[in-house]
Amino acid sequence: MKKISLVQIKPEEKVNILEILGGSNLESKLLSMGVYKGKQITKLSHIGLRGPVVIKSGRSILALGHGVAEKIIVERE
Amino acid sequence: MIKKIYLIGNPNVGKSVVFSRLTGVQVISSNYPGTTVEIAKGYLTLADQKVEVVDLPGTYSLDPTSAAEEVAVSLLKELPREEIAVINIIDSTNLERNLLLTIQLIEEGYPVVVCMNMCDDAGHRGVHINFTKLEELLKVPVISTCALTGMGIKLLTERIKEAVSAPKPKITHQQRWLEIGKIIEQVQRLEHRHHTFREIMEDASVRPVTGLMMAGAIIYAAFKFVRFVGEGIIAHITDPVFINIYQPLLEKLSSYWQEKGFWFHLLIGDLIDGKIDFKQSLGVLTTAPYIEFGMVLPYVVSFYFILSLLEDIGYLPRLAVLLDNLLHRLGLHGYAVIPVLLGFGCNVPGIMATRVLESKRERFIASTIISIGVPCVPLQAMIFGLLGKFGGFYVGGVYLVLFSLVIILGIIMNRTLTGYSPEFLLEIPPYRFPPLLMLWKKLYFRIKGFLVEAMPVVLLGVCFINILLYFKLFDFVTAIFAPVVQGLFGLPKEAVVALAIGFLRKDVAVGMLMPLGLSANQLFIGATLLAISFPCVASFVVLGKELGWKGLIKSTSVMIGISLIVGTMLNFFILR
Repeated sequence: MKKISLVQIKPEEKVNILEILGGSNLESKLLSMGVYKGKQITKLSHIGLRGPVVIKSGRSILALGHGVAEKIIVERE
Repeated sequence: MIKKIYLIGNPNVGKSVVFSRLTGVQVISSNYPGTTVEIAKGYLTLADQKVEVVDLPGTYSLDPTSAAEEVAVSLLKELPREEIAVINIIDSTNLERNLLLTIQLIEEGYPVVVCMNMCDDAGHRGVHINFTKLEELLKVPVISTCALTGMGIKLLTERIKEAVSAPKPKITHQQRWLEIGKIIEQVQRLEHRHHTFREIMEDASVRPVTGLMMAGAIIYAAFKFVRFVGEGIIAHITDPVFINIYQPLLEKLSSYWQEKGFWFHLLIGDLIDGKIDFKQSLGVLTTAPYIEFGMVLPYVVSFYFILSLLEDIGYLPRLAVLLDNLLHRLGLHGYAVIPVLLGFGCNVPGIMATRVLESKRERFIASTIISIGVPCVPLQAMIFGLLGKFGGFYVGGVYLVLFSLVIILGIIMNRTLTGYSPEFLLEIPPYRFPPLLMLWKKLYFRIKGFLVEAMPVVLLGVCFINILLYFKLFDFVTAIFAPVVQGLFGLPKEAVVALAIGFLRKDVAVGMLMPLGLSANQLFIGATLLAISFPCVASFVVLGKELGWKGLIKSTSVMIGISLIVGTMLNFFILR
């Protein structure tokens, strides 16, 4: 088990969320959108040069700014 | 007794479509989160009583994290619970995410009716929901609807009265998600199926390489379409009507006119070689309707057709993902493409749509960029009409200057303005293909809006200009600004009038440049300056409303400064 941030994993990888850094505001916002500790998500794509990361969580597709994605710590299955 | 009905739900679940169905009030709906930035109100007759229906901005939960969500939540608390009913609209294709708000609404003791919208789309995507079971578990009425076709809406109105307040002990979001997981297991069955073509396209449009290729192709095709259809309408419909039907009528009318005095000047304007020239006569009956109907309206139609199509399909949020990178350099994030694109239609809705951006700083940057670097359709149509005949080089040049300005200005504002720009966090909707009828309705709604707003201003504007010109009242203004316009911009002093009229309406202003006999280069400078300088009065008012007067002054001084610099630079590089 290795802790790694969402920007570091490759597209198509399925991971579990371990931690969301960066304050309760971001955490509660993501929580209300269905992205929270323990949730399984799939990274779909990553636009280069510090661009956004697109993930699939449940049936939703979410785009996260690079800064947000960096704060989401995940573990590989 | 129900006094008010609130429509609440996650962003982009079709609240506005349900609202239109319930009240008959037409509001703009699109396939991206945050279409509703203004609270729409309408009425529904319920048991012989008129009840107010309020369409709230989308929200994911009752703990607001943005300004729009705050509005939604605070409005819910206006009246005591016994006097309201809450219709919780859910996107059936994504039940799990939507249920968080539902559970919270029930806990808080709001009388809730659940409206499972888009249930036809859920079927297409292999999502099967047991509505009776869901109703049993939630203990509130659950109605499946398809608001686009109107299915289920009648049943929904009949069951509103069954909504009752039944508060429950509050739990945390984490516990709610656990509960939702259990509900989903019992009511939802997912059909396993291969990726459909639609899903493959959805994925490809947010991947770096394929996404950029698609974006390039779509933008190019959209631009070509707008020009092709716009020019087509002009060549085959409006020009024949104006030249073959309207002009002979006017010629007849003007030949009865013995004395060509004030009224002749006002209504018909100047005769060019003894004939009426729609582009140069400048009369209330000649040039004014020609500008609006013969030059601008065709492009308004073609532009809004394409924009509405892209909106409803759900392409724009994907464009936002791809452009996030670039917009970050300007102190914005990807979602700013939505106000910017709306701004290309008319700056007013564009500036209003900056409300989807969270921070004041972002809204300032976006509004300023829209007012300076984003020409509205009427202005663009006139630029095509005027510069097009000198070649695409000049038209492209205007866009190039504006684009470079936006980039330079954005970078400067991003470096110098204090405040923060929050990170991008956006739900990407699936592609949807709305029925053509909905598209036509939206197009009709927007075109009607354009005509109602533009026509009176154009007619009164041309009237006003003609009176001032007839009594030579412009001479004073011209004399004051002539040194700037002549010396710095290299334009004849009569162009002062046109630039001043730009404050009233941009299309009329470009129209005022037509009779001046300018060279291609001068027209290029004039048109570019009109795009950059002062916004028209309508955008000016909205800008003031959205930014406050301090922001307005700041934004306006940036505009004046930039126009002086750009006008002078263009003059020295091109004319001299």
